[in-house]
Amino acid sequence: MSQAMAPTVRRQNVRQNHLQKKLYIWGGLALLLILAAFFSDYLCPYDPYVQDMSMTKAAPSAEHLLGTDRYGRDMLSRVIAGSKTSIYATLLLVSFITIFGSLVGIICAWTGKWLDTVLMRLSDMFLAFPGLVFALAVAAVLGGGVHNAIFALAAISWPKYARLARSQTLAQQAAVYMQAARMAGSSNFKLIRKHVIPNIAGPILVTAMLDIGTMMMELAGLSFLGLGAKPPVPEWGSMMSDTRNLLPTQPWVTLAPGFAIFISVMIFNLLGDTVRDYLDPKNRR
Amino acid sequence: MKWKKLLALGLGLCLSMGVLAGCGSDKGAGTGGKVLTIGDTTFNSSNEEPDVNPHNAYAGWACIRYGIGETLIKYSDNMEIQPWLAVKWENVDELTWKFTLRDDVTFSSGRKLDAAAVKQCFTHLVENNKRAAQDLKIDSMEANGQELIIKTKEPKPALLNYLGDPYGCIIDVEAGFDKGIVAGTGPYIAVDMKTDDHLTLKKNDKYWGGMPKLDKITIRTITDGNTLSNALQSGEVQAAYGMAYESYPLFRNDKYNISQISTSRCFFGKMNFDPDSPCADPAVRQAIAMGIDKENFVAKLLDGNGFTANGVFPAGPAFGGDKVKAEKFDPEGAKQVLQAAGWVDTDGDGIREKNGKKLVIKWLTYPSRQELPLLAESAQATLKDIGMQVEVNNTADNNQVVKDAKAWDVYAMANVQAPTGDPEYWFTVFAVGTATKNQGKYHSAKLDALETQLSREFDPAKRAELALAMQQTVLDDHAFVFCSFLKMSMISKANVKNYTSHACDYYQVTADLDVE
Repeated sequence: MSQAMAPTVRRQNVRQNHLQKKLYIWGGLALLLILAAFFSDYLCPYDPYVQDMSMTKAAPSAEHLLGTDRYGRDMLSRVIAGSKTSIYATLLLVSFITIFGSLVGIICAWTGKWLDTVLMRLSDMFLAFPGLVFALAVAAVLGGGVHNAIFALAAISWPKYARLARSQTLAQQAAVYMQAARMAGSSNFKLIRKHVIPNIAGPILVTAMLDIGTMMMELAGLSFLGLGAKPPVPEWGSMMSDTRNLLPTQPWVTLAPGFAIFISVMIFNLLGDTVRDYLDPKNRR
Repeated sequence: MKWKKLLALGLGLCLSMGVLAGCGSDKGAGTGGKVLTIGDTTFNSSNEEPDVNPHNAYAGWACIRYGIGETLIKYSDNMEIQPWLAVKWENVDELTWKFTLRDDVTFSSGRKLDAAAVKQCFTHLVENNKRAAQDLKIDSMEANGQELIIKTKEPKPALLNYLGDPYGCIIDVEAGFDKGIVAGTGPYIAVDMKTDDHLTLKKNDKYWGGMPKLDKITIRTITDGNTLSNALQSGEVQAAYGMAYESYPLFRNDKYNISQISTSRCFFGKMNFDPDSPCADPAVRQAIAMGIDKENFVAKLLDGNGFTANGVFPAGPAFGGDKVKAEKFDPEGAKQVLQAAGWVDTDGDGIREKNGKKLVIKWLTYPSRQELPLLAESAQATLKDIGMQVEVNNTADNNQVVKDAKAWDVYAMANVQAPTGDPEYWFTVFAVGTATKNQGKYHSAKLDALETQLSREFDPAKRAELALAMQQTVLDDHAFVFCSFLKMSMISKANVKNYTSHACDYYQVTADLDVE
């Protein structure tokens, strides 16, 4: 029996090591993006806001690696500066909906009764609207700006986390260890803090990681439609929108922020997938 | 299993029918004769053209542009007055004008054009259009067959010019104004319209100026320049008005015609004189005028499709060009002006303050003129250099926003400054105390006095002198900042003929417009 088990264990070890490597790679790249966004002020070769009319629509060159836009602003600097807006806005949004949605879900599961019914029906209402259309409506009512775009997307995205946290909490509530803890005299707050949150954090974290790419795209989408960042603030979605007239004639101006979105979304999506696989009990010893 | 086969057969049949339906052709397009679709970025309510009723706001522009209505006189390529629906006229005395109308014209409603119909039209016009009432100052009218006598309340030397304005399109008032559609005398008849979406025209078989070449024309409102560019390339529209200059390189080839002409269409900013606006401070207005880089805006952002503006009017007429003195781009000078006026950056954030209030300029503009947002972003950067923070509000709701004096400080807009070939129009619309578009509440007793003189002056040379003095007054007060005049262009597929730009920026659709 032990001889038959050996290859399986070895395979699991190899897979686990492989996943760990992937986690380091994608995690490292994601960290690099976040750090680049944080230190963007120091990384930009030129001031991303300063217009130089003698250099308008210049093609990529040694002087301007990604060319310049119609105002002569260096595209590489704009893309780097845009990462601060795009990446931090996304991380802020995902953090907010994860924490807020999870708290609502835990409260619903824990208290039950009318509060559970009211909050869940409310989340049903939000889920019933087509996501981006609802976000567009909210952003249009609130007006443009990154903060309003974050609020609009948060308004449509929290119910997913509330439902997930609620179902996970209900499962934990029924567990024997929870009953034992309750009988040992633990308060509700302690039960949630010590037992519920650590046990439901895994699936919520995976969902959040997988959502980063989606939220980045949706924020860029709102900005593209003029409901996100306002000029001259560099933000990848609005940069693409502002320069789409130039796509046939000076494509680098539009492609540079587009490529930045593509790379970032891909890294965060692959990181999310890897985290999911890594935390999957089937892949563990 | 039998029901499964029947279900599969049914689904297959539905699919086949769908495919066959998709293969069908548009019968209307195939049998409807010669058709043309024009995309236009400016035919919309944002530009006060919600329909084609010339008595409604600026909708007369759509009425005359799309060949629905015609005026008593028209302008030549040099903006000289020529006969149109009126064959001749006479200035009997300072207050009396006698017009003789064409005898061979009928409205699309079937009614014959005569002096009674024109009188009825003008009566309705001045009752419903404040701008026209102010311009024309009609006291009374007499209609006798094809002869119309107009008496004005005061001498109106520019009456002929005003009658050539798009609001002067002669329409059959008795035919009604159903959903903004009117009956005119032009080569095309409006048959269907949806505001901000489309206008459908059919040819007027009884047009007095010869049989129109096209059977049907559709005007599609496409406010976004990029969409318009794609629509023209894909063939969805065959002609386009208001294309972004940045897209022109795509159409400079054998497949397209570009008709371009210098016009008095100007990009300019009007200042808000509301006491709460920073622009109420003359130093701020002067600094804005000195802080906008017009040369680079024209050269780089208009791609050379225009000219830098000095005063209200472009070079050419006796009252235009550099005969007036305006502020030049001078950032250092602007900084000194602000400094002397007490606007100082005390907290080192690059934005000046005075009495604890930051120098923030709310810049209102709109997107349907594709380069206005570019002007806003360019000014945002150059004005920041001199210590002003510019917050741009680029909205299609500009006509509502501008009504709220607290919502804007500078309103950047596009306007044809002398569409009637006469200078008085611009001052009466934008600058004098009673002007309909003086939303910034600019008031100059000197300007109003000069306008009183201009309104009664018949001598063209003296009118030009007065217009120059009025421009200088406006410029000295820094009530407006004039940035550029545009070369207006219309682009069409190579097989579209006679789609030609005109100096006054109307007369777009004519009986000669054709598709080969």
